[in-house]
Amino acid sequence: MARTLVVSLGGAQSTFDLAKLDRSKLYGQRKRVPLDPEGRPCTRAALTDDGSFLVQSGMSSQGYFDAAGTWIPSKELVALDADGNPLPQIPSTLGVEQPLKGPVAPDRLLDLRVQSVYALDPLAVDDALKRSLLAGDVYEVTFNYRADYHAQSAFLLANEAGELFAMVGDVADPAWRDPEERIPTFEADDEEEHGDLDFEMF
Amino acid sequence: MPAPQRKLHLTNSKGRNATIVFGSVKPPSPPKLGVPGSEVRFLRFFAATPTTLHEALQTQLGEDYAQALIDGDPEVDFERVGREIGETSKVFLSADGKVLHAAPREVELILDPDGNEKERRDWEDKQANVNDELPVRWTGRKMPKKEAVRKFVFSRTIELAHVDGLTYDYLYAMAQELAEEDALMLMGGGPKGRDALVFQTNGTPYRAFLEGRVDGPRYKLLLHLSNMELKRPSAASGGASGGKGASKEDGGES
Repeated sequence: MARTLVVSLGGAQSTFDLAKLDRSKLYGQRKRVPLDPEGRPCTRAALTDDGSFLVQSGMSSQGYFDAAGTWIPSKELVALDADGNPLPQIPSTLGVEQPLKGPVAPDRLLDLRVQSVYALDPLAVDDALKRSLLAGDVYEVTFNYRADYHAQSAFLLANEAGELFAMVGDVADPAWRDPEERIPTFEADDEEEHGDLDFEMF
Repeated sequence: MPAPQRKLHLTNSKGRNATIVFGSVKPPSPPKLGVPGSEVRFLRFFAATPTTLHEALQTQLGEDYAQALIDGDPEVDFERVGREIGETSKVFLSADGKVLHAAPREVELILDPDGNEKERRDWEDKQANVNDELPVRWTGRKMPKKEAVRKFVFSRTIELAHVDGLTYDYLYAMAQELAEEDALMLMGGGPKGRDALVFQTNGTPYRAFLEGRVDGPRYKLLLHLSNMELKRPSAASGGASGGKGASKEDGGES
């Protein structure tokens, strides 16, 4: 059965089908392809630092191990807080009514580190919510695609063409910069860079 | 862990330039997985060797080797499987599977939204342009915040920070100006400020919108980066993808 996003505002329920948006379907893709001396595509592999072994696709796996080197099955792993105590599992929010918060200020959405964007197809939408979204309001709701230990935030909004979307991710809290601060510090950057095409938006 | 400072050269609304520092804005990390009361390590290990991969087994045992897997363990190299893979270096293999000892020639393929090849050309490195001789320009093109969030997907945000009293005054004034207007300012690279911003060699080109917030003497100056408009693909290009993708919902780390 298709999984739906179910939200409520002022006691009125609305239900949407979700479809994940793929950037390459909007703009295409740019790929960097290495070629061998005969002009055929190369494959990537990893050479162990002692030079003794070549790790090719399909030859490696990964997992959690205890101090004695014994593999720990995934089902035995739980999320732990900073003190090492287990955290409760958070059920999936899909198909389960979630109360909307908002309208929220655009700043709140600007603080979202977007992980996924979904196009929303309304199955049953409350008129008041629809009007509000089409007028440019933004709503926030708790979102968890599958049961795990970390719920995210989804922001519901409409673009100017009236298409509905949910942007999903984690909300950050950027630091205030103070006049006394002389050596600013930042969190380590683990950005992955992709060779995507630019887009023409203006 | 603090990140090394990276520099950005930009101009303000008066066209005055300065070099300041920036870093990524990151949300709090999700909780780590483990076993209560026990130390665990996340490791990469050997699951197979060249002689136990599908192609090798097929060559050795024939097209249908299911019974051979039941009768013995030809797919397991007991000497190697399970051993930890430590540090490695990236290498390229030719189509024949031989290690290349010189850097390969690279080409760039341009694919359309349906995955068809549109163009093929020699690869050229794209240099970063945020700490050039030419500053990142304040273009003068403002967009109300409410409008911007409905037009673009901002997938990354960097925060700008001062390095001394002069650059504090400089950045605070920018933040104040933008906060008062409740708008984002389009920032651009290149001689005319029209280029997308690239933060590292061959990095993703982004359109960048500067936001300012102030609270007494404190400020936040945030550069929101986007490489995607908020719109649906045309029906002809296959559209959205039914909820699957390389993120949390299909098995990503939570």
